[in-house]
Amino acid sequence: MKKNDLYSKEETFFQSKNKIYSAQSVKQIVYSTDIRDFGQVAKSIPCQDACPAKTNIPGYIRAVFEKRYGRAYELNRSANILPGVLGRICARPCESSCRHGETDNGQSVGICHLKRSCADLKPSSHRIIEGLYTPTEKKVAVIGSGPAGLAAAHDLSILGHKVVIFEGMDKPGGMLMYGIPEFRLPRDLLMLEIQNILRLGIQLKTNTAIGSDISFAQLKKEYDAVVVATGCVSPRKFDIPGGNLENVYNGLDFMKAVNEGENPFVGDKVIVIGAGFTAVDCARSAIRLGALDVSINIRKTIEYMRIDETEKYEAQFEGIKTYSLIQPSRIIEDNNKVTGIEFQRTRMEKIDKPPYRVSIPIENSQFSVPTDSVIAALGQSPDMSIISKKPDGMDGVFAAGDFVTGSSDVISAIAGGRKCAGKIDEYLVGKKRKRTVVRLENHATTDRQRSYDFIGKVVMNTIDMEKRLSKSTREVETGYNEDQTHEEAKRCYLCNLKYEIDPLVCIYCSACIDVAPKDCIKMIGNIPVNPDGTYGIYEETDDWNQVLSIAIDNAECIRCGQCLAVCPMDCISVTKTELIEIDT
Amino acid sequence: MPENDHYVIIGNGPAGNHAAATLRQKDKDAKITIISDECVPYYYKPRLTDFIAGEIAKEDLMVNFQDVKDIRIRCGQAVKRIDPDSKLLFLQHMEKIEFSKLIIASGSRARVLPTMSGYADHLKFVTSYTDVMEYKEEIRKAENFFIFGGDLVGFKFFKMLNSMDKTVTIMIDPDAFWPYRLTRDMLEQISENLLKFNTEIIVKDEVLSIDRQNGSYRVKTRKGIEKNVDMVLSFNGLNPNIEFAKGSGIDIDYGILVDEYLKTNVDGIYACGSCAQIYNQAIKSYTTSIGWPNAVVQGEVAALNLLGDHKIIESVGQKYFDLEGVKIKTTWWEDINEDNDA
Amino acid sequence: MKDINIVIEICGSAGEGTISAGEITSRFMSSQGFEIMSFDSYPAEIRGFGKCVAHTRISSRQIYSPGKLADVLIALNDKHAISQLSTLKENGILIYDSQPARPHKEDESVAGWAKPGMISYGIPLNMLAHKASGNARGMNMVALGALAALFYVDKSPFTDSIKTRYAKKKQIVIDSNVNSFLEGYNWTKENIKKIDPHSFKDITLPKPKEKLIINGNQLVARAALDADLSFYAGYPITPATKIMEILSRELPKHGGVLLQTEDEISAIGAVIGAGFGGKRAMTATSGPGFALMTEFTGLSVMAEVPAVIINSQRAGPSTGIPTKTEQSDFNSAVLGGTGDCPRIVLAPADTKSCYEATVLALYLAEKYQTLVVVLLDFFLSNSIRNINIPEKPSSEYLDANIAPDKNDFKDYQRYKITKNGISPRAIPGTPGGMFFSTGLEHDAYGRPNYSEAGHTAMTQKRFAKFNTVLTEAPAPEISANDRDEFDIGVISWGSSAGAAHEAVMSAQKEGINASSFSSMMLSPFPEKALIDFSDKCKKILIPELNFSGQFAGFATRILKRSVERLNFITGRPMASEDILQKMREM
Repeated sequence: MKKNDLYSKEETFFQSKNKIYSAQSVKQIVYSTDIRDFGQVAKSIPCQDACPAKTNIPGYIRAVFEKRYGRAYELNRSANILPGVLGRICARPCESSCRHGETDNGQSVGICHLKRSCADLKPSSHRIIEGLYTPTEKKVAVIGSGPAGLAAAHDLSILGHKVVIFEGMDKPGGMLMYGIPEFRLPRDLLMLEIQNILRLGIQLKTNTAIGSDISFAQLKKEYDAVVVATGCVSPRKFDIPGGNLENVYNGLDFMKAVNEGENPFVGDKVIVIGAGFTAVDCARSAIRLGALDVSINIRKTIEYMRIDETEKYEAQFEGIKTYSLIQPSRIIEDNNKVTGIEFQRTRMEKIDKPPYRVSIPIENSQFSVPTDSVIAALGQSPDMSIISKKPDGMDGVFAAGDFVTGSSDVISAIAGGRKCAGKIDEYLVGKKRKRTVVRLENHATTDRQRSYDFIGKVVMNTIDMEKRLSKSTREVETGYNEDQTHEEAKRCYLCNLKYEIDPLVCIYCSACIDVAPKDCIKMIGNIPVNPDGTYGIYEETDDWNQVLSIAIDNAECIRCGQCLAVCPMDCISVTKTELIEIDT
Repeated sequence: MPENDHYVIIGNGPAGNHAAATLRQKDKDAKITIISDECVPYYYKPRLTDFIAGEIAKEDLMVNFQDVKDIRIRCGQAVKRIDPDSKLLFLQHMEKIEFSKLIIASGSRARVLPTMSGYADHLKFVTSYTDVMEYKEEIRKAENFFIFGGDLVGFKFFKMLNSMDKTVTIMIDPDAFWPYRLTRDMLEQISENLLKFNTEIIVKDEVLSIDRQNGSYRVKTRKGIEKNVDMVLSFNGLNPNIEFAKGSGIDIDYGILVDEYLKTNVDGIYACGSCAQIYNQAIKSYTTSIGWPNAVVQGEVAALNLLGDHKIIESVGQKYFDLEGVKIKTTWWEDINEDNDA
Repeated sequence: MKDINIVIEICGSAGEGTISAGEITSRFMSSQGFEIMSFDSYPAEIRGFGKCVAHTRISSRQIYSPGKLADVLIALNDKHAISQLSTLKENGILIYDSQPARPHKEDESVAGWAKPGMISYGIPLNMLAHKASGNARGMNMVALGALAALFYVDKSPFTDSIKTRYAKKKQIVIDSNVNSFLEGYNWTKENIKKIDPHSFKDITLPKPKEKLIINGNQLVARAALDADLSFYAGYPITPATKIMEILSRELPKHGGVLLQTEDEISAIGAVIGAGFGGKRAMTATSGPGFALMTEFTGLSVMAEVPAVIINSQRAGPSTGIPTKTEQSDFNSAVLGGTGDCPRIVLAPADTKSCYEATVLALYLAEKYQTLVVVLLDFFLSNSIRNINIPEKPSSEYLDANIAPDKNDFKDYQRYKITKNGISPRAIPGTPGGMFFSTGLEHDAYGRPNYSEAGHTAMTQKRFAKFNTVLTEAPAPEISANDRDEFDIGVISWGSSAGAAHEAVMSAQKEGINASSFSSMMLSPFPEKALIDFSDKCKKILIPELNFSGQFAGFATRILKRSVERLNFITGRPMASEDILQKMREM
């Protein structure tokens, strides 16, 4: 085909959308490794940047909008391995960075709920796509089948290595299986997504503890590399008088017991200590075990709780109260049984290094409340006992996930596992086989209607209190239906579309500024460059003599396309920017 | 930086106005601004029930406070966000205001609990001027009421309805006096004393659902009581108006946390009145104050401390609220011999 | 039933649909049977983003003035609205944009300036407009939606008014506007707690007769067409341009001719030429143009040629303030010009009498063969009222020329001295009706004649017309005329008369024994009626919109007594509130 034919064909395509686009708009794809493009992607797609696994969020939401749920699922899976699981219990750092949630923009997009929809709505004919590399004959042992271990195993397996996972417990999944309650994460779904990873030929050895069943040294000998992904399993000690009484639980053990189907005694009145999601899970489980009065008791204020608004709301909805600025000082007993707990009040103080706010107990401020049981969910730390020195990869021993970072969240663990797999691969084959580039593609339209910006966040469907109590494992959130999914998907601004004014064509008429819905188009005098080579924040000017250019600030832009519609010079271009992995 | 200090006070109630008056008295040159989200000048909130009952006119609601001089009063303007670092207030209507020092006296409003979310749309609240203006006529026309909760305002309101010969069902929730919780004995005594009003009292029960049908409301309780009423009013305590301070770095619990000097953890920012949780050395805990006299004193003390003084706040005014013969200490943390006080 | 009497002001920047929003409100309210009076003000400069205010008073009773202060201010533009806040009542309502596209700096937000006691409702006008139609253009309609929701105005007839307003536009324009209105309506219903007392709920007025919603300029043009105008010459000038604009479209359809001349001198020249040729002719101008015409006006009087000048007054002198109203051409219209120059001057007091005055002017000019000036002002030209459709003039008003009869042609004297001063007028080309015509003093045949007796006789003849003119004009309007004595008599003219009348009615309610006097006829002035009225009044107040009290000076000479004056040159129409206040002080 001659070049001219190609040109005219594409032009006809664009004309059919009632607008003729200039030659620059004709589809061109560029793969960039320029630091400025990475900087731009990070700055203007804040959700993706906030995601530890760098999930292509606008990309999959667009696919959801187009009702290509399978495609959306794969876009997720290629980054975060367990979309169905994460779609329920992810810590959602993306949503706190979502541009839609910024001041005056409304509420952030339900990114997590949409992830769940990909998994829920993908057709039965959906096929999982994996780009398998040739076998390398290398063997890797992964210790721990939690999210970090699974992610590492998955990537290593794809890269052609033979992987064996060693799991001390009866079932795989780690915290996913034993830490998170079933009413938040159904176990059949969890097993399905774990199976999807194991199907790559990964061997899973459960009930195999390192140290007792097989020694770490032996692993090192038998395998070319070892990954320690045992997470954080040692609960922080509940170090107050009476902390070891009957009916005083640590949060993790309590959840493990609940998740194994035991019904630990809670009584009528339960005191939960702790400010993280485990504390909330414990409290909500206690309600399901028949407790009538459950409270979460925290040392600092509610603002400092490490849980998101949904969890906060659900806990309140289930009648759980929160008492703040108190810390336990003593458990009151009668006949070796808990009858109450003594608290001490605290106040907030500032410490300078590092600048942080802490709670300080107030002397002689003790008071006590009666209770039947106490659950202390104070966090966990990694169990270092199986290894002799900190893994650094030098001798083929690597580590990933919470074991490295300390107690974090599932998505960080997955990202850690994948990153670790990349390092191991480099160690095993002697070179970097994959790298990330920015894919830039011209895009003809905004893909959106302005009215989408005014759709309110679709509320997640949940079951009522009666149903929650009738069967304690019944999933509380029931997911969006297809219509709700479509509606929520409309809300995404598609920040992966970059809007740019060509300063050489622009006639400075400022028509775009007049129609701008926000302070998103600016007269700029200078674009500073950051030390790392990326572009900094535009410096604005009111003085026409100083105006370097009229520019669209993609960190303010809500991609409404008003500017595009009014520009008399057609000098505003839209470019789709995506981070993708390619072979080196 | 502005030439003179700009003291901004959020809130146009007794705490805010007395803070403003004190600041003006001590600092003749400073620019002083009061910001209030209500479109009404300084008024007596406690008189709202009398106003609904028609006992006083609208003019009698207004406080004639001469001490507020040369103070810009911004009414009907809500603060949305505080940035203590750049000393900026962001108003709801997207105006930015620079301040040099700030007093938060934003008061509180009716509390809605997440457990009420299923029927919250059908509840009416009458704790502000705006509420009252909106519902006054409806209240006058309605015959049957369901009062749910029953805090201090609620009881006052109940008595007012009673004096207007309305039929009232009242459901008392011991938690409605938040942050104070009624004891079982208190609850029983209150119910008993309420009987003289010839009203139906429901205790130890919960609202299950409220439905609207043909202009009236059907209230169902968990224990199976059903009531058809013209209005359902909720009095479940008050929640401090402090959304705008969230995420600003100012310590917040339920209210804004301040020390005995009414200072927050941020320099130059003070809080007083019912939006503040004040540290009390005597009980070594934070307390939220109620009542007009407390708000007045706190406003004055906050202003003095803002200007460099070191005054410790003490509670004033009535020591007790009389709740149908049951005394509830407004200063329940203080160990007072009841006989001496009564 | 409760009375409605509310003044709504919409304030925005040119191009934001401020005036259309006011117009739609007026039309809608009129269709619901309310009396409306609206007055828009534009930026003095034609270009740019100046301030526009659409001021509308809506009442369930007869109203006479636009109302000084607004009950409601709708701010489409913060900067302009801040300057407009001074005309909002102390307990007024401010409706403002709570979510503009860009944040405001400190003190640049109108909401920040609402005084305690005012009620401000923040509506996200810009955001809702975007929501409804994808851009900010529908902000004005969102605001109207909010207004309707707040005041319990029925939304469906209101949307009908919007549809009517944009009926000639594309469907998408109609939809955008209607959607914006509904968006504002629904948002407000859901989100705003109403705390103001205004309500249109349960107010139903009798279904109104078909009304004209029209301003003075439009009525003048309409009257001119109805009164068989056949020639118009003019040069555009604010605020009279609209008359020419309408006639340029309509006059040719009626077989007439419209000529746009190079300046006002030419225009009046052409008008006198057409009058000489027997055609009904007129021009419309404002102060500066009127000054240019003044020399020529003498010719109309001297040569006894009918000519009509509409002078819509604006603030002067010189170019002055083109878009501000004033009554400062009284002297120039009544007393200006060269020599002893009797001319008829009419000043309609309200919109509907602009029609009457125009018909009368063309009739009087033709019958009395002289110059007739109609004094309008910016306010009358532009303020919009809903009025009953005026009755077309009867035939006697359409053919008023006193033509010569057979006897006259025996020895045709074009300027024959008659008792009433009117000489039978032959149209050039009439057989036997040849005559001289000149601006020089002349004899009965029109031949130049400078004799003492001749000039005296001719001047007397020209002034003799005045003896009967008054009988053909409407009598002065005097309120409470049945009483014998008043503490205060308010004498006014032109567009101030409505406010004066309203002030007097209010004063009477307050127990002040007062009456008002106004005359459409300024020249010749009904002096006897004025003196009779004055004799009944202990005190006289003359309010007018000029600095020097031009009419008061004129009246003082007639009355030979001192009067209280009340003068404003604020550019705003006379306010009854100000007159009432003055009366209280007297």
